Amino acid sequence: MENTFIPAMERSPEVDFRFQENHLSMRGEAYPEDAAAFFGPLLKLLTDYCETIKGQELQVEFQLDYFNTSSAKALMNMIQILENAVRSGTRVSLKWCFQKDDDVMREFGQDFSTELQHVDFQLVEI
Amino acid sequence: MLASDHHRMKLESNQQGIIFSFNGFISEGILFALGDALKKKMSLDDTNICTMKRVFSVFVEQAQNIIRYSADTLAKAGQEVNRISSGVITVGCEGGRFFVVCGNVMRREDAIPLEARLAKIRDLDPAGIKAYYMEKIKDDADPNSLGASLGLIEIARRASEPIQYDFMAIDDLNTFYCMKVFI
Repeated sequence: MENTFIPAMERSPEVDFRFQENHLSMRGEAYPEDAAAFFGPLLKLLTDYCETIKGQELQVEFQLDYFNTSSAKALMNMIQILENAVRSGTRVSLKWCFQKDDDVMREFGQDFSTELQHVDFQLVEI
Repeated sequence: MLASDHHRMKLESNQQGIIFSFNGFISEGILFALGDALKKKMSLDDTNICTMKRVFSVFVEQAQNIIRYSADTLAKAGQEVNRISSGVITVGCEGGRFFVVCGNVMRREDAIPLEARLAKIRDLDPAGIKAYYMEKIKDDADPNSLGASLGLIEIARRASEPIQYDFMAIDDLNTFYCMKVFI
């Protein structure tokens, strides 16, 4: 699949999905005016991509500073897609990065990790 | 007269610790601009990063609730994302704690289920609020909701004490809804 890069905007994160290297990352803040319009196509891409990499290794890195609840739902969807990918034989590692002293983002990482049984999850203070 | 009236209004706001108070039609663009000013003000005041994030989150969810749920709303057909909606939103600092207040007119029939949802959230302890958040984040979106359930839970989660809310009947059809949250 073609790599997808979306630069960070005022209200949306940088999306760097390097499908050809099996490395996906998102960075920044997420409270787009229309969360469905922003995240919908990304969720579709991620689902389709996960179908093509069974048996391979995938690295995902989230480094988010803030997201609103509409975006939180989309992130939870992404995490569920990743968990399902492991069930189909892909090895997935997810690095959740948060800034020192940011208890809110640390706690979100911990909360999301409770949904992951098979993904290799790392909580990383930066 | 013009200056004295407005100076008095400004002094009253200052005495109440108000950082800003917006009354009128709010758009997503105004949400962004007010949020930007709020972040800058808190940053210049060396506010703790966790407090800043909590205040900002409550502000965004409350402002989006006005935009999405105020009964006094204007949008072109097919362009509901660009709607503007009338309400009030105030951010301030009282006794060393930040607060965010929002208010808007609702149709009475919409206010009744909202009041029930707020009562449920208000009565939960922090562990209960977190569990409810995790339950709701996994729900497929309620077809009648633009995501407000999770937004209200997020607001309660960032609050340092139970949320305060109030409803006032305006006439047979309309109710004024108001919420105040201390962070």
